[in-house]
Amino acid sequence: MKFSILFPQLRGWVGHLANVWPAPFVKPNFAIFEVFHILTLIMLGGASILIGLRLMGSGVTDEKPSDVYKDMRVWLNIGLWGVFFTGILIGMANAERLYDSAAFLAKMLCLVGGIMLVYGATRPVALADGEISTSALVWGGLGTLLWLGAIVVFLTGGLITPGLYHVLTAAALIVAFVTKGRQRWIYAAGLGAVLIAMYVATHVILQPDDLKNADPANVALAWLAGLWIFGFAGWAVWSGSRGATPSGLFVKALGYVTILVWVTAAAGGRWIAFA
Amino acid sequence: MIRAFLVWLQSLGRGSGPDAQSWSEALHGSLNFWNLLEGTHLITLLLFAGTIFAVDLRLLGVTFRKLKVSELSERVLPLTVFGFAMMVVTGLALFFAKPVEYYHNIWFRMKLIFIIGAMINIVVFHYRVQKNIAAWDAAPLPPWPARASAIASLSAWVVVIVFGRFIAYNWFDCGKPLPHFFNVVEECKISEHGAIDLKPAAFKVKP
Repeated sequence: MKFSILFPQLRGWVGHLANVWPAPFVKPNFAIFEVFHILTLIMLGGASILIGLRLMGSGVTDEKPSDVYKDMRVWLNIGLWGVFFTGILIGMANAERLYDSAAFLAKMLCLVGGIMLVYGATRPVALADGEISTSALVWGGLGTLLWLGAIVVFLTGGLITPGLYHVLTAAALIVAFVTKGRQRWIYAAGLGAVLIAMYVATHVILQPDDLKNADPANVALAWLAGLWIFGFAGWAVWSGSRGATPSGLFVKALGYVTILVWVTAAAGGRWIAFA
Repeated sequence: MIRAFLVWLQSLGRGSGPDAQSWSEALHGSLNFWNLLEGTHLITLLLFAGTIFAVDLRLLGVTFRKLKVSELSERVLPLTVFGFAMMVVTGLALFFAKPVEYYHNIWFRMKLIFIIGAMINIVVFHYRVQKNIAAWDAAPLPPWPARASAIASLSAWVVVIVFGRFIAYNWFDCGKPLPHFFNVVEECKISEHGAIDLKPAAFKVKP
């Protein structure tokens, strides 16, 4: 799935974008704008990680979620809008390639979903120290749906599908960070077992160049890893919220998705160049 | 000597057949693995640089002003250290894929210099600046040595990120006509592509 399939009638307009100001200025200075895109993405990522982890009950727990949000708000805003505007500039200079890129569609779904999550759900929930409103629930749900849409684009995107390993890795690390004690060891042991199984299946039982057989085995075990990570995340959130209000579950899940949506956006951005 | 070692490193594991690849070449030519390493290296910046910036901004008195510096560090630095470890592992693997090319790359060399600078700054902060942290731990605006260290850290890591990205561009690759300075700094003379000095006349602006 890509923009050129969804909106084929736009090809002429997209092809002309590279000639529209400021694209002719951006193109020869692409590297400079790209660097600003990366730096603002880092600001956005850092702020999202700290806010998201706090909503999950980890990270800077010495402060209330509202204080963490207020402390990070400026950097979150600079990061998000910096990514947005530098993205438009480098996108205009490179429009035809993006139009034919499935990774770009995934990135755009994450961008829109991320904005919904940050401003529609994370912001009000964090400022209210975990109290959720109906609108936060709706925006959080819509943002999550768009993020899941990006995951589907990755899954069905052929050459970009391996980019999902970035999302899986981030998802796995967040769970490792927020779990504690025995729960963390059980999680690590299960994940380690899946990874070893993946290696044995594709390097010992089968050979890596035997793509016909190794590929389905790899995909099946990646699904297993995903199920383990997200299943465990669900269990950790559920068990950690036992006795708490149902909103605790939503708030923790929101923190998790708020981080993952930007990781997925970054993965989309990087895989534009690869496939 | 360093180059000779890297040439050896690049040829490590090569078989005897005409199409035989070294481990380094196999890594660089892999269908997805190199891309995954490169992507992970970049995305880990969100964790590593994103969190180190938060601590640096606290030292500058810009964020988390109500929180003690030590408390913020205790909560955030484990994430930063883990991110740094991932950056190092993926960075070394990426370097292994093209060691000789990176050796002759000016951006890579400058990136290493600034990484060393950032490391020295961490050591100075840890053993000198932080010694009397109890006196300013809760201060919204830490004293100037701490702020200077934060500015040095922020600047160094931003430059490392910028140069890291510039490595991908071939503006100053050996074998191209380059100003003499670049050929010297990149040791192009001993590179596979040699050194071609750009004639000084090429710089003259026509009246």
